[in-house]
Amino acid sequence: MITKYITAVSTAFSPFNARTGKTVRNFLALLPPNARSKMAIDVKMFGQAEAEKPASLSLKFKDGKEMPLDLEKMKLKDIQTEVDRHSRTLRRAEELAG
Amino acid sequence: MPPRPRLEPAQLPRRLYLCHQCRHASLATATTPAPPLEYDSPMLPPIPTHSSTRQSLSHKPPEFRKSQLHRQYQSLLRSSPLILLFQHNNVNATEWSGIRRELASALRKVDEDLAKAGDNAYVGESTKLQIVQTGIFASALKVVEFWKPKFGDISAAPAAGGEAAVPAGSAGAIAHGQAPAEAHGLSEEVWRAVALNKELTHGLEPLLSGPIALLTLPTVSPQHLKAAFSILAPTPKFPAPKRRLNPTYHEKPVQEGLQKLMLLGARVEGKVFDMEGARWVGGIEGGMTGLRSQLVGMLGGMGAQITSTLEAAGKSLYFTVEGRRDMLEEEEKKANAGSDEPAKVESVGSS
Repeated sequence: MITKYITAVSTAFSPFNARTGKTVRNFLALLPPNARSKMAIDVKMFGQAEAEKPASLSLKFKDGKEMPLDLEKMKLKDIQTEVDRHSRTLRRAEELAG
Repeated sequence: MPPRPRLEPAQLPRRLYLCHQCRHASLATATTPAPPLEYDSPMLPPIPTHSSTRQSLSHKPPEFRKSQLHRQYQSLLRSSPLILLFQHNNVNATEWSGIRRELASALRKVDEDLAKAGDNAYVGESTKLQIVQTGIFASALKVVEFWKPKFGDISAAPAAGGEAAVPAGSAGAIAHGQAPAEAHGLSEEVWRAVALNKELTHGLEPLLSGPIALLTLPTVSPQHLKAAFSILAPTPKFPAPKRRLNPTYHEKPVQEGLQKLMLLGARVEGKVFDMEGARWVGGIEGGMTGLRSQLVGMLGGMGAQITSTLEAAGKSLYFTVEGRRDMLEEEEKKANAGSDEPAKVESVGSS
């Protein structure tokens, strides 16, 4: 997953919700080790009682685009595809700009 | 120098080569010697299909690291009543060493405070913050939760072994044509009984995905847990140490590493707690002894409460009757005083 162009990650989830919790946690694990200094990461965790509360994940990119991701429909692979698609356009723009 | 004698290969001493790991593999499993690579010796022993000891064969080869990790995790789960689960997202080696150093110093402080009060358990020294292989840990957790071995008398071995083995496994062992072998945590029959049974759940399954690190304490000690929270997952209830008091805590590697650690949940004495539950355990004042004394006080207090409730009816009746009696006495006195006064007035008036 190309993470170079992400500037902010904001999530809210419950780790006890098997589907969305695993997706969000694995997404956070994909961020590089020096991510915290380069992007603003905001994580809110719910408890076991609120496991059914809808989880949310939204990203902001370098060009200002905000991408809210629907965790009910998307799995981790889909999220990666979405992020990569936008990042590749940004990468191309950057290369062309020199 | 005398010439070197010529030796035919047949004259060379035949010793089977055991690789280093096979030689030192756990004693719980039979070693299967690898056939030597140099020559095809007719003296190879047959590779056993059943165990020559009374224990069943390991599900995966014992020399694999994952088998040894499985054993380690089983032992860890059985010996630590308090385990916190964290997710670690790409934490560096320097960050880990910084975090462990801060944690160790905070726990040591708690140990010293407790030792002054007389409790010499030194729990902090056996506390570990370690990364675990999630899949193997999940499997070990299933075995520990759902397989309860009955370690019977060794002399009555075959009978006890038959009972100790899980029913599904003993059928498989009998098929080998010998007395059923004793099952152990790594054996196939145990794996079959716990892993393939989808109805057995222990509540931690959703957490066991992705990179996991464990904080294990050898006893349930709320004071140590409080110190661990203030270092690893600080909140307003468990505040992090201040910069003046603990400058090394606020160094860059430690702070960055801590940002990448997320508290997921806890397993306390076999029960699953979420973050709030774990914080509640950490917030118990006075440790386990304090909790026990609170419980004793509450139970004793309950007895006193019952007696006072039962007495209350009688007491209120007594007070009512007493009050009435006092009132009656006062009225009598007043009546006497009233009848005396007119007599006094007359006597004064007449004299």
